[in-house]
Amino acid sequence: MSDRAVKVLHYVILAIIAIAFVLPLVWLLIASLDSNANQSLKWPTEWTFSNYVDVMTNSKNLKGFGIGLIIAGVQSLVVVLVSGLAAYPLSRYNLSYKKGLMYAILFMTALPMIAVIVPVYKMFLNIGLLDSIPGVILYLSASGLPYGIWLMKNFMDAIPVELEEAAWVDGATTMQSIRKVVAPLMFPGICVVFIYTFSGSWGNFFIPYILISSAEKQPAAVLLYQFFGQHGSISYGPLAAFSVIYALPSILLYILSQNYMSKGFTMSGAAKG
Amino acid sequence: MKKKQIMALLMTSVMAFSMAACGGSGGSSDGGDSSSGGDSGSSGKSKITFTFRDDGTDLETNALYKWVNAAYESWDKKDEVELDVAPITADEGNYFTKIALQLADPGTCPDLVCEDTFQLPNDAAAGYLTDLTDYVADYADWNDGKYYESMQKMVTMDDKVYGIPYCTDTRGLWYNKSVLEQAGVIAAGEEWQPESWQDILDACKAIKDNCPDVVPFWCNAGKASGEATSMQTYEMIYYGTGARLQDEDGKWITKSPEIEESLQFLSDIFTNGYGPSLSLVLNGQAANTSSREYLPQNKLGIDLDGIWITGSWKENGAAPWDGYEDEVGLAAMPTSEGQDPGTVTLAGGWALSIPENSDNKDLTFEFIQHMMSPDVYLQSILDQGNICTRTDTAEEEEYSAQPFFETATKFLETADFRPQNDQYSTVSTSIQAMVESVVSGTSPADAMNQYHTEVARVVGEDNTVQK
Amino acid sequence: MQKSMRKKYMLDQAKKSVLLIPAMVLLLAFFIVPIILTVYYSFTNMALTGSAAQNFQFVGLDNYKMMLTDPNTLVSIKNTFIFLIGSLVGQSVLGFLIAYLMKNKAKGFRRVIGPCILAGWVMPEIVVSLCCLAFFDVSGTFNKMIGLLNIPGVDFIYGHPMLTIIIANVWHGTAFSMMNFQSALDNVSGDIEEAARVDGANRIQTLVRIIVPCIKDTIATNTMLNTLSTLGVFGLIWALTGGGPGMATNTLPIYMYNMGLKNFQLGQGTAIGMLLLLVGAVCSIIYTRVLKTDD
Repeated sequence: MSDRAVKVLHYVILAIIAIAFVLPLVWLLIASLDSNANQSLKWPTEWTFSNYVDVMTNSKNLKGFGIGLIIAGVQSLVVVLVSGLAAYPLSRYNLSYKKGLMYAILFMTALPMIAVIVPVYKMFLNIGLLDSIPGVILYLSASGLPYGIWLMKNFMDAIPVELEEAAWVDGATTMQSIRKVVAPLMFPGICVVFIYTFSGSWGNFFIPYILISSAEKQPAAVLLYQFFGQHGSISYGPLAAFSVIYALPSILLYILSQNYMSKGFTMSGAAKG
Repeated sequence: MKKKQIMALLMTSVMAFSMAACGGSGGSSDGGDSSSGGDSGSSGKSKITFTFRDDGTDLETNALYKWVNAAYESWDKKDEVELDVAPITADEGNYFTKIALQLADPGTCPDLVCEDTFQLPNDAAAGYLTDLTDYVADYADWNDGKYYESMQKMVTMDDKVYGIPYCTDTRGLWYNKSVLEQAGVIAAGEEWQPESWQDILDACKAIKDNCPDVVPFWCNAGKASGEATSMQTYEMIYYGTGARLQDEDGKWITKSPEIEESLQFLSDIFTNGYGPSLSLVLNGQAANTSSREYLPQNKLGIDLDGIWITGSWKENGAAPWDGYEDEVGLAAMPTSEGQDPGTVTLAGGWALSIPENSDNKDLTFEFIQHMMSPDVYLQSILDQGNICTRTDTAEEEEYSAQPFFETATKFLETADFRPQNDQYSTVSTSIQAMVESVVSGTSPADAMNQYHTEVARVVGEDNTVQK
Repeated sequence: MQKSMRKKYMLDQAKKSVLLIPAMVLLLAFFIVPIILTVYYSFTNMALTGSAAQNFQFVGLDNYKMMLTDPNTLVSIKNTFIFLIGSLVGQSVLGFLIAYLMKNKAKGFRRVIGPCILAGWVMPEIVVSLCCLAFFDVSGTFNKMIGLLNIPGVDFIYGHPMLTIIIANVWHGTAFSMMNFQSALDNVSGDIEEAARVDGANRIQTLVRIIVPCIKDTIATNTMLNTLSTLGVFGLIWALTGGGPGMATNTLPIYMYNMGLKNFQLGQGTAIGMLLLLVGAVCSIIYTRVLKTDD
């Protein structure tokens, strides 16, 4: 086979894979604009925005989106902040327990946290944190921390300590040096941690489903699950519209950070230090 | 510079979102933590939180939703008390899990909850429900014979009353007359009454042969249908063999020829293609799909389900069906080979209970009495399409004249009940798993073995028996 | 003197550790404590409702005995591994294939293909379920398409449920592997490849002998990260098949939910949770071993 033929073949294979990957989403998008959508991809006889209008004019849905954003946003900020602070001594100082701790953290990133949902429920029941959004945020933050710390430490290791030394000479404190020198330099890394945490939390419906009882405190993920969790005769149009809106923050964040993502996404590099 | 801008953008967007969300939630959080039971809100009013299952369809057509709102509107304490309607959107299987999670928590516990009478002993044993014995002592209707005694028994455990029963039900075979006529099972104008399981299978075969686009037989068969699968399907079949779930000593029968026979019948239905496709029946909406779509659209021959499905066919129901009384028939479920007593039905029901963690019990009980007062209650039981628990309501013309109610109520005279103890509700989930396994291809023998293992895990090996 | 040096050292260590405190507090309260409680609860007969909800008791190893004698446990473990292996193979092979083919392709083309693959990854779990539910439905897009070719329809969700959830997970996860492999391949020097080609190696040989060894670390890390994320998959399966029909897609997390919450047997559910933690821990130890070489 000539190089040229091989190249054409490559293009064809890639195109087929890409189409296969994107078809289910094309359905989602078109169904959301179809006044009479069903399970299969079809050209709508009547295009409409009413599915979106229905979803967005429902105050319950709006609230769900708001709550979802609060949970995911605050959780991601907490993880970024806390893991960023924790990463500093782990990266910069010579601590006697450092090696052990890093292993412990690495170990924790591997544990499927869904396994502890029952004890978490019982614990929240006893300390009165059930049905509380801050409670959910705290728990989700903790479960996102090990990975956050691990990533942050590795990103921080990549920043030469000499750059900080200049700041120290100028009399900067540790905190000042973190804020003025380290944080800006590792901004791509911070983005990765933020986005990673955010999308994990935004997509998580099980934790809030168990820990939050009031219908009006449920985030969008749970609403969506309830919307079609009992599939059967479902109205696909509004459901698709809801899903599209629901997927938007993830997509936006991704696009917003794409530059940094690819840099920070030498995942293996990052994870290996 | 660019990095800074992006970070700023990120921060502002998160903040904007959060603020929007806070604004959105502001309105309804005025009344304090709306789910925290009967705490008085900021307006100084007491509050009653009412929890029931919302099946995900339009809330406005939900009979319980209509009932509680109507009761509240006509309540003389309306001005002093706030009503918080807090439905749980879940399939039937997950409803009881969510309820148990809420009942355990003083912070989120509702004041008034709809309990299926099979779940009631379990929740009562857990200490989640208020003992209403003292309350009903002063409730005249309760003591004057206005409630059927059998209904009172359904909510009584160890001589303590844990709820006010608001409906009961019976089950049978609903059939679409035109389908059965077309299939040649019955002649025009004739009623159908199978004498044995074989008669049902024969009818299914006739439908399948003559009406290829019609689903011959439908019964709840999935875990997602929850108790409906245990009661409407498995127990309706199994009790027809003459056997019961527990023996005289209260031990759970986990392996027996009768169990296998019942599962074989189910397996026959599904392996012969008489049943609905699994994609239709193994989800939480299955019972709605059959009763609200397939049966009215002549796409279903026989439906094993309860009397309440007529509720959705009424004018104000979820799927109005004009003239349904002429288009469907109700036959009793036969015993396996037509042996005595010839037919079988099970009766269950739901009750209004007050959780132990409610902090507004007295007021809530007053509200229950108002909900159950004849005028308010009549309309609700008509909406629910269920059999009433009050003797005086039963005599109302508007109630007794409903199509099929005479038959369904007559079933009640010979109806069986589910075991009334705190183990049944867990055993029931094992029944559902067993039924789902069989309809999706597991052999009856294997499914029964698994049933034994699961039940033994919950009640202990010593409390099971094999025949 | 000795003592004061030691004291000074300790003081110094403590001072340097201050920034770790918030993280440690959070981890202790919401990570470590729940895990310890899991161990404890798994030895009790705690229940969500029923008389055991009021006062639960220590029951020794009963939960574990019951778990190990229940055939469903084995089925769930088997399902978990089938799901895991299927997802790993699918994601890695597809991810690598795409990354490999994309290398040195026209930039415009890459700009179109990349986001197509990434879209499935960016989508939240439940949206993935919904898309797959509709796509593989008996009357969904896939069956409509093969119907056009006169191929009889396939009931994926109820007929081949395990395959369906694996495909769903592969759709969701491939982009992650793709990105890992892309950045690894970018670091493989073109010169080595060129040299191999000059020596007469064909494409496949170059791939197997030169490229794969160069990125073997990435392959290991990628496999590990995918293993860990796949083990915890719950929502995707729950929303798509609910673990059914029957036990067909009942993986450990679903099994745990059904036993612990749906059957109300919290104690027995946490015993299954322990099993899940154990599987995760074993994978994690292997993971740390693999990464140990240069930390």
